[in-house]
Amino acid sequence: MTLFSEIRGLPVVTLGEANELGVVRSLTIDVVSGLVGQVRLSPTRGRKEMAIDWSALHVIGPDAVLVRSGAVLDTAPPPAPVEILGVRVLTEDGDERGTVRDIAFDAVTGRVEKMCTALGDIPGDRLVGLGDYALVVRTG
Amino acid sequence: MSELMSARDLGGRPVVTLGGEAVARVKDTVFDGPAGRVAGFTLNGRGLLAGPLKQSLPWSAVHSLGRDAVMILSRGVLAEPAAVIARGEAAHGRVLGARVLTDGGTEVGTVLDLVVEAGISGRVVGFRIAARQSLESGSKRRRRKVYVPRGETLAVSGQALVIPADATRFVADDLAGFAAQVEAFRLREADRTEPTP
Repeated sequence: MTLFSEIRGLPVVTLGEANELGVVRSLTIDVVSGLVGQVRLSPTRGRKEMAIDWSALHVIGPDAVLVRSGAVLDTAPPPAPVEILGVRVLTEDGDERGTVRDIAFDAVTGRVEKMCTALGDIPGDRLVGLGDYALVVRTG
Repeated sequence: MSELMSARDLGGRPVVTLGGEAVARVKDTVFDGPAGRVAGFTLNGRGLLAGPLKQSLPWSAVHSLGRDAVMILSRGVLAEPAAVIARGEAAHGRVLGARVLTDGGTEVGTVLDLVVEAGISGRVVGFRIAARQSLESGSKRRRRKVYVPRGETLAVSGQALVIPADATRFVADDLAGFAAQVEAFRLREADRTEPTP
């Protein structure tokens, strides 16, 4: 299990050319599948902000994230950026449950294992929705 | 029993989809007086300074009324303002300030606010009233604000509400204490209406 806070800021490098594309800035989560959708990068050296599909990742290492060569990079500006860390957590009943402090996911499959909040961890399979206002979870 | 909420406190509460998007804020809570339920909400735009929306939220489209948000399935459930206002027209604005009478003919006070059950029921379980002296036996204070359960036999007109005289024995000073009183009163009413075998 990997924490997002552990990979935030890691350099993202292509496997074949060793080009550094940027550093990990945030993750997008596909709520329906419960998987990490894309890794979004902070731009470096004049590059555009970009996002990489989870499927294009080769490995998440301790010091860098390696991307398969020839992977299609999504340089279109992503829609409505959702910063996961710090977003408020709401149950589907409409009660707040703190804010997201970290996300734990499986580094191989990309499955979201749990959302960490100040009030305790919430299993990833309780995820209902993620929008600009809140991350919505099923009531446990 | 679900948590209780003051209707007045619902103003400004965000309306959030299960997808996590805030689409509006509650402007006013509209009551269906005869049914003793919330008919729905009129809405303001998202920002604190945003004006009224030309859409409303009928209670049937509410996923859950929570402490911190009113949850809905999606933006698509919002309806024409008429969907809510027409249903609540008979009671809205007239419940607040109305005189509260017992079925014994005693006036116990005037309505300051309504108390709504959280969750999916939308039930109005009681009122916050400015109590008259007749309600407070033994109290030295002249007038106070108390919560009184509404009972199942609520009658509502434009000017007054009639509640069971028994309800006045189940008043509370705050919402926390009121939940227990509502439950106690409900049990008592159930006892009386169901003949014991």
